[in-house]
Amino acid sequence: MASDSARFQAFRDDEASINKKLPKELLLRIFSFLDVVSLCRCAQVSKAWNVLALDGSNWQRIDLFAFQKDVEGPVIENISRRCGGFLRKLSLRGCQSVGDGSMKTLALLCQNIEDLNVNDCKKISDTICTALSRHCHKLQRLNLDGCPLITDKSLKALSDGCVNLTTINISWCSNITENGVEALARGCPKLTCFIAKGCEQITSRGVICLARYCSNLEVMNLMGCGTIRDEAVQALAERCPKLHYLCLSSCSALTDASLLALAQYSTMLSTLEVAGCAQFTDAGFLALARSCRYLEKMDLDGCVLITDATLIHLAMGCPRIEYLTLSHCELITDEGIRHLSMSPCAAENLTILELDNCPLVTDASLEYLTSCHNLQRIELYDCQLITRAGIKRLRNYLPMIKVHAYFAPVTPPPMGSTARSRYCRCCAIL
Amino acid sequence: MPKIKLQSSDGETFDVDVEIAKCSVTIKTMLEDLGMDDEEEEVVPLPNVNSAILRKVLQWATFHKDDPPPPEDDENKEKRTDDISSWDADFLKVDQGTLFELILAANYLDIKGLLDVTCKTVANMIKGKAPEEIRKTFNIKNDFTASEEDQVRKENEWCEEK
Repeated sequence: MASDSARFQAFRDDEASINKKLPKELLLRIFSFLDVVSLCRCAQVSKAWNVLALDGSNWQRIDLFAFQKDVEGPVIENISRRCGGFLRKLSLRGCQSVGDGSMKTLALLCQNIEDLNVNDCKKISDTICTALSRHCHKLQRLNLDGCPLITDKSLKALSDGCVNLTTINISWCSNITENGVEALARGCPKLTCFIAKGCEQITSRGVICLARYCSNLEVMNLMGCGTIRDEAVQALAERCPKLHYLCLSSCSALTDASLLALAQYSTMLSTLEVAGCAQFTDAGFLALARSCRYLEKMDLDGCVLITDATLIHLAMGCPRIEYLTLSHCELITDEGIRHLSMSPCAAENLTILELDNCPLVTDASLEYLTSCHNLQRIELYDCQLITRAGIKRLRNYLPMIKVHAYFAPVTPPPMGSTARSRYCRCCAIL
Repeated sequence: MPKIKLQSSDGETFDVDVEIAKCSVTIKTMLEDLGMDDEEEEVVPLPNVNSAILRKVLQWATFHKDDPPPPEDDENKEKRTDDISSWDADFLKVDQGTLFELILAANYLDIKGLLDVTCKTVANMIKGKAPEEIRKTFNIKNDFTASEEDQVRKENEWCEEK
């Protein structure tokens, strides 16, 4: 810090020239480049700096994730006081000590907040949403992911007071039911993004209500909402033409009727995740591939009925595919990969291909894939017919590619009759 | 290339390419408003900037004349201070008084790139320091009473590593 001390030396006699020369707004501009820790230290320098450092304009967007263990109620209350109406965006992700009392203070003092993230603040309950509804009418984005005490009462409150909500995440709030979602849908027509992973009590009716009242929905994640049936996806497809991201993974009751509806109406889809939708067949994907030309990311992990026919149609119909997951699609063979590798998406866009647990895929597939110049990662775990030599050849063509494969170490010769196949089919890690 | 004359507060005039002078939004607007665009021998007075600082500002503007226009402040983006180019870092190895004068001049002349880089430089002099070190760096007097100091320390210690 030689240069710093030189600066100090030069101005030894001139007391605090920074305060004398620079007006408040320029000091605040300097402070606008400081992080939370530096601001808290500046607040301890002098009375004048205390006022400047705690000026609400420095505290419009706060992310306390890095301090999650230390953030307790009084910190939130202090921040609420110093930020007041300036606070627009606050992330308390992982701040598990934060409870309802301090959050009520926050809602009361920071009524202009637009974006609140309380992901994994496990202590907070419906009280917070009631307070938000009463005071924070500008709230647009709310993340309640992993707050298990939240119930339908929260969604009803939000539907009353927070009609500007565009984005809500209620993943793993497992008490929430279709009734809460119905209220939300009726009260918050501006919703564009609805994320509800693992909310098993959101039924088809809940999703149909969203489709009916929130026609601007663009992003929808219903992973693990296992009771949802085709009628829900049909309603979404029909009523929400802007839908471009849809995750239905582990909604195992869905059939090809869902894919046919998406094919008919949701032509803007760019991401479709349907891992574990084991009833989907080639017929559904054929229709989808014909009309959803903008698909970029598809997760078909565990769609066990699909065959090379699905790949042939995706290869023809979806030139933008970048990220394709075919894990556990056990009927896929080299022929499907050959078609994929000759498609426009392979030459231009394909960057990630996951083929783990596709037991019929052989080194011939890797040979075909040498034409995918943008391929950056390929998953080959448990592809028993893939050899080291095959991977080495692929690397000759695509030297930067990341290959994830596993080869069991050479085992000693089997001992007597206890030898059994090393073939393992149990690795269904979703 | 057309030139204009800029006059500093202490009366020195500088012959400057119009294009370089125009990186100051203040001067650009002045030229447009007054229709002084292509006329020779016009003198633009800059009563808030002395010759030493104006010379520095013009040196900066000349080096950066082909830069793309700086991006608008994106409120949602984390503000970085570790992206100062090595030329700028060298250019700003000056005493604190000069640095603050450059901030004032950049603000008055409305040169966003220079204002940002000078403010970042000061922010970097603050970052990573304890309150007492900050006081030393800027020669600021601690005017808290012992009990007040205790109080503000308690209020602000939650973000410190324990």
